[in-house]
Amino acid sequence: MAYDTSVTPDAVADLSAREMRRSVMSRWGLRAGVVIGWLAFIGVWYVFSGAVLGTQQLPPPHTVAAEAWQVVTGDGFGATLWASLLRVIVGCTLALSASIVLGMVIAYSAWWRGLLGVLTRFFVSIPTVALAILALILFGVSGLGPMLTAALVATPYVMSSVAQGLTGVDRRLIVMSESFGRTRSQIITGVLLPSSVLAVIGGARQAFALAWRITLLTEVFASSDGVGFQIRRSFESYDVRGLLAWTALFIGLMFIFENFVFRQLERRAFGGAHVSQATAESTQ
Amino acid sequence: MATILIENLTKVYPPTPTYPQQVQALGGVSMSVTGNVFVAVLGPSGSGKTTLLNIVAGVEEPTAGAVRVVQDGVPAQVGYVFQEPRLLPWRSVLDNMLYVQNRKSDRSKREAEFYLSMVGLSDVAHLYPAQLSAGMQQRVGIARAFLVNPDVLLMDEPFSHMDALTGRSLRDYLQRIWAHTRKTALFVTHDVGEAVELADRILMLRPGGVVFDDIPVNLQRPRRPDDAAVRAVETEVLRRFDSMEAAVRFGDQRN
Ligand SMILES: Nc1ncnc2c1ncn2[C@@H]1O[C@H](COP(=O)(O)OP(=O)(O)O)[C@@H](O)[C@H]1O
Ligand SMILES: [Mg+2]
Repeated sequence: MAYDTSVTPDAVADLSAREMRRSVMSRWGLRAGVVIGWLAFIGVWYVFSGAVLGTQQLPPPHTVAAEAWQVVTGDGFGATLWASLLRVIVGCTLALSASIVLGMVIAYSAWWRGLLGVLTRFFVSIPTVALAILALILFGVSGLGPMLTAALVATPYVMSSVAQGLTGVDRRLIVMSESFGRTRSQIITGVLLPSSVLAVIGGARQAFALAWRITLLTEVFASSDGVGFQIRRSFESYDVRGLLAWTALFIGLMFIFENFVFRQLERRAFGGAHVSQATAESTQ
Repeated sequence: MATILIENLTKVYPPTPTYPQQVQALGGVSMSVTGNVFVAVLGPSGSGKTTLLNIVAGVEEPTAGAVRVVQDGVPAQVGYVFQEPRLLPWRSVLDNMLYVQNRKSDRSKREAEFYLSMVGLSDVAHLYPAQLSAGMQQRVGIARAFLVNPDVLLMDEPFSHMDALTGRSLRDYLQRIWAHTRKTALFVTHDVGEAVELADRILMLRPGGVVFDDIPVNLQRPRRPDDAAVRAVETEVLRRFDSMEAAVRFGDQRN
């Protein structure tokens, strides 16, 4: 039976069971890696706090966790968070709207690409701290400074990722649209924007992450509320526990937004799976 | 009545970073097509067929020469079927159809549904392109081209990516839908059998983009690829192609 290559239903079932097992195992392997990573981080923290720096300088994780819990359940947590979040959202929206417009301009005009390239290079070389202080000087202690600084710093990055998404558009779909007499604006809304929507969501994600960090930083200097302000207050009163608790809360929030909100958005956007699959097929 | 008038059409592509030499895609093509005829442009790959269609469709500029595509004296509406389906992946089949329409109304939607039914796709109108087979996607492409009620129909090797059996059934769909509308058609192909099965007239291009033969095909419709008459014309076209090849080779030797 040298040539018996027939495939029995059992063999198929066996094969798929094996493959399923393998994929389940690799998924669990990945999760185990993440868990081990976190355990290692917490372990190192304990070691430093107990044996290297002392619990005064670096409170151990459980103390910080308890403090964070107190912060969350205590008065004013919602208001503080909301103050920061509002700035982040406004800053992020400003950055994203500017980026979509500038991204289009960059993608389609060599002249603007050159000009904005020079400006961007100049701009990203300014330390963010300098901008934060400048915001304090210009706007005083107010909510406006963090918002605008966040928008300003995030825009160059988001703009270039939007531009990249736009230049990656399948040219043949544009030729198709032109041959059927579609107008410029029909092509923009029908082809360019949808096919760069993943890039735009990626840009939004980037804008959000940047806006959070910058808002926080600027709040440290130029605000009288918000998460950044709380961190500064803890620092000024030598409250290392409070400082770490707020920082941990901030990291937790970022994590939630990165991994749940934006990932879901990416998944849902225009049936993301369809888009990437079909684009892969049509570019073969 | 639609007319395609092409005079001394030349297209030279400038050198590009990937191919640092200029390429002559079309070397002075002249032709005139009028009325409800189905014309096949037959040529080996690289003979400028796609370039010719793109210029006729107005999505590419010629280097020299004149092209007029008119319907009763005004610029004609073209419907283009590409080598690949070129559907918008983020729109359903029906929405892909509606994308090329100017008016959005119940009537335009019914028209879209009618042409989808002509290519046997009524049941999948709500699906996305990635959910269809390659043959079904190309049928959407064909229905879309007919939907704009074109004066001139342009088709660029629409079945060359299909397997032989799918291609055969799609040519059947095309014959049926064309018989229904009888639009002036310019159909580009490198497949002799396909050209003979579909066309009233075959224009042969040779590399360098020059028309070297113009063969009428006076056969009854509907035609089947295995009809003896179709086979006979196919043999004749191939014979002329061979003599062209020989002439080109002989010319090369003299240089
Ligand atoms: N955009 C382009 N830039 C440079 N050369 C091109 C371009 N498009 C086509 N060509 C060249 O022109 C010639 C004819 O191409 P094409 O019209 O696609 O031929 P066909 O469709 O008959 O295969 C080929 O040699 C091809 O490499
Ligand atoms: Mg071609």
